[in-house]
Amino acid sequence: MNARPLMRLRLTTAATEAIGPTPHGMLSIFPITGGSFEGERLRGIVLGGADWVTAGADGTFELDLRVTLETDDSALIHMTFTGVRDDANHYFRTLPRFETAAPKYAFLNRLLAVGIGEGHRDGPVHTIEEIL
Amino acid sequence: MNTRLLMILRVTVATPRSIGAVPHGTRRTVPITGGDFEGPRLRGSVLPEGSADWLLLRADGVLELDLRATLRTDDGGLIAMRSFGLRHGPPEVIEALARGEAVDPAAYYFRTTPRFETSHPACAFLNHLITVATGDRRAEGPIYTIHELL
Repeated sequence: MNARPLMRLRLTTAATEAIGPTPHGMLSIFPITGGSFEGERLRGIVLGGADWVTAGADGTFELDLRVTLETDDSALIHMTFTGVRDDANHYFRTLPRFETAAPKYAFLNRLLAVGIGEGHRDGPVHTIEEIL
Repeated sequence: MNTRLLMILRVTVATPRSIGAVPHGTRRTVPITGGDFEGPRLRGSVLPEGSADWLLLRADGVLELDLRATLRTDDGGLIAMRSFGLRHGPPEVIEALARGEAVDPAAYYFRTTPRFETSHPACAFLNHLITVATGDRRAEGPIYTIHELL
């Protein structure tokens, strides 16, 4: 598979809201309070959002994130991803998607991407690549 | 991005059903009539019952694909597969595809992101895999080369 860097996304999070055991597993909501993103073609800040995280019985987490990005030239980008986090196997991978109305960033509407996540004390960092 | 081959999936399709103009674009559904898959760790066939691709042609000319298929491994395990994808390219290439012509898959963008669910112990590793696929649209149905994201 060929890919090229799209951005590095840093997220800051607030205290987890533990919904508890639901029919699909243990649901926790990680509010996203801010952050930043930077790549060759776009950079800016994270306005906020959240990640809905469901822990399965086997200890893996299913991720379902929604955030709004604001570029340094004031375009808004709706970003979502689903993903998997399996700490026992050091596997933290996501499938980001983007929607924007800004013509300059319309290329985001037309691509699929993958992310490699890393947990940091102040929040996760995602290295996102465009699938070519 | 490090990846390794998971499988090559060939599906055969029937005539699309045109749902028409819907709020988000133009909707077609494509029944899947069968197929097969093969990779280093698993192989088997595609079950036609309940397998189809839901296509949405957006206003910006991008085709969204939302495929759901049931796979059966050669040792009898059932796997529920779903994959979201995008397809787009130069108008003349997309028109040639629509006519059923053979087109070099490098001439257009056709990528999908399959996810899998199974209770079959031999395939349990699929449940937590993020995968990406390149598609090759043939007249008889698409061929997906699916790579596991390592």
